[in-house]
Amino acid sequence: MARRMKWEIVHVPGEPERSLEVDTVDVFASNIEPKLANNIVRQLNQVVPLENLRHVKRVRRRTAEGKVELSVILCLSGEYEKDAEALPRGIHQLISAYNLCPYRAKVAKHAAISKEEWEEQCKLWPTSYHPSTNLDGIATLSEGELQLIFNYMDSAIQLTKMSYAGGKVQNAAVIVDPLRGQVIASAHDQTSYPCPLTFKTSARGGCVDECGVTIASQSDSNEFGNNQDNSVKKFALQKCNEYSGVSCLNPWGWTTQRASHQNSSGKSDNKFSWHPLRHAAIVAIENAAARDRELFPGLGSSESQSEPIDILPNPSDNCPSKRQKIQVFEELNMEKEFLHNSEPNELMRPYLCTGFDIYLVWEPCTLCAMALVHQRIRRIFFALPNPNAGALGSVYRLQGEKSLNHHYSVFRISIPEQNLHEIELNASNNSSNKAESKEEI
Amino acid sequence: MAFETGHDSASKMRFMELALEQARFALENLEVPVGCVIVEDGKVISSGSNRTSETRNATRHAEMEAIDTLLEEWQMIGLDQLEVAEIFSRCDLYVTCEPCIMCTTALSILGIREVFYGCANDKFGGCGSVLSLHDSNSEKLPRGALRGKGFKCTGGLLSEEAVALFRSFYEQGNPNAPKPHRPVRIAQEAE
Ligand SMILES: [Zn+2]
Ligand SMILES: [Zn+2]
Repeated sequence: MARRMKWEIVHVPGEPERSLEVDTVDVFASNIEPKLANNIVRQLNQVVPLENLRHVKRVRRRTAEGKVELSVILCLSGEYEKDAEALPRGIHQLISAYNLCPYRAKVAKHAAISKEEWEEQCKLWPTSYHPSTNLDGIATLSEGELQLIFNYMDSAIQLTKMSYAGGKVQNAAVIVDPLRGQVIASAHDQTSYPCPLTFKTSARGGCVDECGVTIASQSDSNEFGNNQDNSVKKFALQKCNEYSGVSCLNPWGWTTQRASHQNSSGKSDNKFSWHPLRHAAIVAIENAAARDRELFPGLGSSESQSEPIDILPNPSDNCPSKRQKIQVFEELNMEKEFLHNSEPNELMRPYLCTGFDIYLVWEPCTLCAMALVHQRIRRIFFALPNPNAGALGSVYRLQGEKSLNHHYSVFRISIPEQNLHEIELNASNNSSNKAESKEEI
Repeated sequence: MAFETGHDSASKMRFMELALEQARFALENLEVPVGCVIVEDGKVISSGSNRTSETRNATRHAEMEAIDTLLEEWQMIGLDQLEVAEIFSRCDLYVTCEPCIMCTTALSILGIREVFYGCANDKFGGCGSVLSLHDSNSEKLPRGALRGKGFKCTGGLLSEEAVALFRSFYEQGNPNAPKPHRPVRIAQEAE
């Protein structure tokens, strides 16, 4: 299988990939004389516009045996199933005026959301297709921006290397202000602190054989959910417990991480020597909040203006004005953020993490993904899917939950093998470190 | 419920009252009025209220506050992960509003025994409203997904009181009070 040599980016949509089986509706269609096409279509559009089938092309053009054949959709056939006489009057007139022979045909019921689906649909009847990824920004990202994005992801990967403290590889998070090109906060998992952070340049251990990590089997496909899934899964956890230290991959595993070093020397400025909920993203959010408090000490609690909307349950029916009020708060907020700022400093300061991006090596779990909704992150980039507990497409798909008040865009970055290798190497270094320390004891 | 004795439901009301007290405390501090208590063996061992404004960290929900208090305390006296997990498995949470998706995940990770909440959280709730992360059997999970620890969850306990607090939060509107230099627009839209 071809090796992945370069960085790539894929949008992870809010809707799951649909199967290619096309949902259809029945229509009446008829072949028409090409020279009459304009007339007929104009009249049809007046008499029976295809309101809910805007993605369907009214006219189909085919070439059969060197001859152009045009067909047109007359109307939906569903309602007139039993009684062709009941067809709209205008249709009858057209049929007799142009000598049409209506027949039943099937067309796609919904607009296609992928190129593959569109191709399937067109086998039935032509439809139009507007790739939605354009809306989500990949298409509009310049080469320069892409390079920056890949660099930030690389720095997150470096952080997994920095963060293993003789223990296991951990997830890492980097929050970035893309407009200023500034790192706002970064963190790695702090669910366990086996021992203080030390560096050993040890020889590479035998993790590849030991735990069956077969990075080379990564396929070239850049859709996640197929081939690659298997190898990544393998890579992620199943066979290699070197990755069981990645909090989002193994959220319930903290009870088995009973540290042999149960001393307080691992404590830094942090109150906890271990904490089941201190996943990388959670810690990064905390660091970003701390930075904000430090940089803008005077701007107190009045800033958390739209947070209430995060917790307030939907207003009950007996209080119709509520919804409207929430709307007002949201509008106020927008204004506050974008229009008027009395303090010059405040211009620099976004509300929570509005406008910021986060880079995560592993797809976050629901704890982290929801925390990032609360903190108003703009875009999430992750490198490795999380088949165990991922909340951005693998198991859940929070970016597609309509009820949430904030929606970030999600991208998966496929990283070159050599970078994957770095993560793998961290794990193997660790396992050899562990072996060493056992011997020492 | 048939198996519940009068005493049981009375003490549940009492714990929810305490959670509401926490929520009122949040309200006084211009925070979103959500509060909770954690109960072990019929005793409140921790409480928390929303601190998202003060900390500028939108993840500092009441549940997180109450949990961190315990974790800090227990680590101070040297409990390890297994011991901590064992205690959590005997703890119940009383919270004025249905835990959000984040907090529900947290409670599942910690392995809490049971959750009682006041009003439902239609926009963010993780205990049935948006996702059902408390129910380890309910979701049709893709192959390979880990099943989280479930917990029993009961809503509707003193929910009117909880909703009333939200209402006064908006109506007093403290942190959200219209700024005086934009009075016209507010007056129109608030109607
Ligand atoms: Zn996580
Ligand atoms: Zn919450």
